[in-house]
Amino acid sequence: MRRLGLRTRVIATFAVGALLLAASMALVSYELTRRSLIDERERTALRAAYFDATVVRAGIDTDTPDVVEVLRSLDTGGGRRPVLHLNGEWYGRNADPGITTAIPADLRRVVASGEPAVQRVLVDGQPALVVGVPLSPTATFFEVNSLRELEQTFDVLALALTTVAVLVAGSGAALGWYATRHGLRPLTAVADAAEKIAAGDFTARLDPATDPDLTRLSSSFNQMVDRLAHRIERDRRFAADVSHELRSPLQTLAAAASVLARRREHQDERTAIAAGLVADEIDRFQRLVNDLIDLARSDQPAHRAPVDVVALARDACHTLDLPASLVRLAPDVPVTWQVERRRVAQILANLLDNAVTYGGGPTTLLLSRDGGVGVIEVEDDGPGVPVEDREVIFDRFVRGRAAHTRGAGDGTGLGLALVAQHAAAHTGHVTVTDRPGGGARFRVTLPESLT
Amino acid sequence: MTAVLVIEDDDRIRLALLLALEDEGYDALGAATAEEGLRAQRRDPADYVLVDLMLPGLDGFECIRQLRRDDDVPIVVVSARDDTHDIVAALEAGADDYLVKPVAIKELTARLRALRRRARTGVVGPAPDAVPVLAFGELEISPDAGEVRRAGQPVAVTRTEFRLLCELAEHAGRVLSRQQLLQRVWGYDSGDERLVDVHVGRLRQKIEPDPATPRHLVTLRGLGYKLQR
Repeated sequence: MRRLGLRTRVIATFAVGALLLAASMALVSYELTRRSLIDERERTALRAAYFDATVVRAGIDTDTPDVVEVLRSLDTGGGRRPVLHLNGEWYGRNADPGITTAIPADLRRVVASGEPAVQRVLVDGQPALVVGVPLSPTATFFEVNSLRELEQTFDVLALALTTVAVLVAGSGAALGWYATRHGLRPLTAVADAAEKIAAGDFTARLDPATDPDLTRLSSSFNQMVDRLAHRIERDRRFAADVSHELRSPLQTLAAAASVLARRREHQDERTAIAAGLVADEIDRFQRLVNDLIDLARSDQPAHRAPVDVVALARDACHTLDLPASLVRLAPDVPVTWQVERRRVAQILANLLDNAVTYGGGPTTLLLSRDGGVGVIEVEDDGPGVPVEDREVIFDRFVRGRAAHTRGAGDGTGLGLALVAQHAAAHTGHVTVTDRPGGGARFRVTLPESLT
Repeated sequence: MTAVLVIEDDDRIRLALLLALEDEGYDALGAATAEEGLRAQRRDPADYVLVDLMLPGLDGFECIRQLRRDDDVPIVVVSARDDTHDIVAALEAGADDYLVKPVAIKELTARLRALRRRARTGVVGPAPDAVPVLAFGELEISPDAGEVRRAGQPVAVTRTEFRLLCELAEHAGRVLSRQQLLQRVWGYDSGDERLVDVHVGRLRQKIEPDPATPRHLVTLRGLGYKLQR
């Protein structure tokens, strides 16, 4: 699972924290309020029941008491219902059988034994409080107090407290969002600046005056960019200077070598051999300098344009005096790819050159596709590349073992490194495997070159 | 004998180039500064000029501009600098081709021969008298006379620009890719497409009523260029 972002985590923490706090506060308030209200209600009910009991005792203390009339004379309001248990008979104001069954047997027994008692019960599903007061050994008086209003009050209270808790949690989340937005704003500025720098704009800097707490970050960031820019500029200038300083004398050497080569028949044998060596090495030195300059530059992304790769591949064969019939285009592959011409031309030339030098000459140059990925494959039927060398041959200044044993090393040792770098500039890569039937197969992938 | 003027401040490079070019059968003359080269070219015009870009005093770009002001002699830059910026600036100043040092002498002479083929008499295609004048609206091209006119007025184009225009005119209404143009006009098997782009830009300045929104010499994105009525 993906890790949540800092902002999400902070907002969630704030919201959960606020909710926990608000919920526990609400619960405590609810419980305290509820308890004190119920206690209060019980005391009130008890007082009223004692008072009513006194009235009833006086009313029934006659020979022929009209119990119902006595009960009716009580001023109980709507919330209290009096019941009298006299000589084994139940009396109420109205014919109300439900009410007597609501009085629990335990309570009756306690009251009958001469103790007043209070109990909370349910009457017709409604909460109620039953108060029992003993009047005489044969008479007990009960009052059923409805707690409906109280329960309604609790409901309203619970609703109010829940609403407050939810609102507090929401406010917590909002506070978290606001805090992270403000807290992360300097980081957004850092990210923006870093993006600009990555895109090559070395003028991007952070303003150290924005936030005193972040001055250290800003100044070290700016220092880092300064050094980076300085270093890149120095490297660029160095590469330009080196290329200029190497190329100028090479021009003299190249022109002078051609003068020597033209006069070969007028030279004695030893001079001719020496002149030939000079000319060959100047040629190799030229290629080395060009490859080095290319390698120093080719870490930038490719500048893609539509390129006829078949024509490019045939040109590459032509330049190396190889037959154009080596080039094969797989079925359903268009001839025009979105690639950088110069880089792909060099990939083709270097792979073919590698096959000529180390693989006894290429057998096939196949252009195919793997979805939108353009694939270039060059095969030879030479000795192949040992498994342990299949990574290192793409490093700089590595030459095939065959070259060492033969001592001929005509290449610059940079050809395959350049292939790898040009492939990487197209976000692709190069690999080497065994060709079925012997030899090596170099495979270059160029993503996004076919649509 | 074909005369080549070599404007190069490095004595050794200049000497080596003169020796090698003379070996190849050219009548080579050296100049160490742009001023010296410009004087030599005015006094006794050579058939080709090779220019280095980094020269003391007047630099290579200005030297190309002044040479171009006087005539349409083919100018080839031979420089150790290979920044896109330098290449485009030199071509825009009026150079016909740009070579990066070190150039093999065989390659250099091949480029000079390609420029020679570009001379006005070298236009390939149908017999010149079969199409005396190719008209594109108010633009008229006479391949055999080597003339370009806009609204009846002669337009001064260099040999390379003229060759490029003729190549496009011969294939009027059809697209030629940059690589095709490089091959047909400059003789490159595979070359730098900026050469074509900059020359097309220069040509537009001369033949289009509004070079920013070309009517005749149009770009087809990703394909190449086309000359139309």
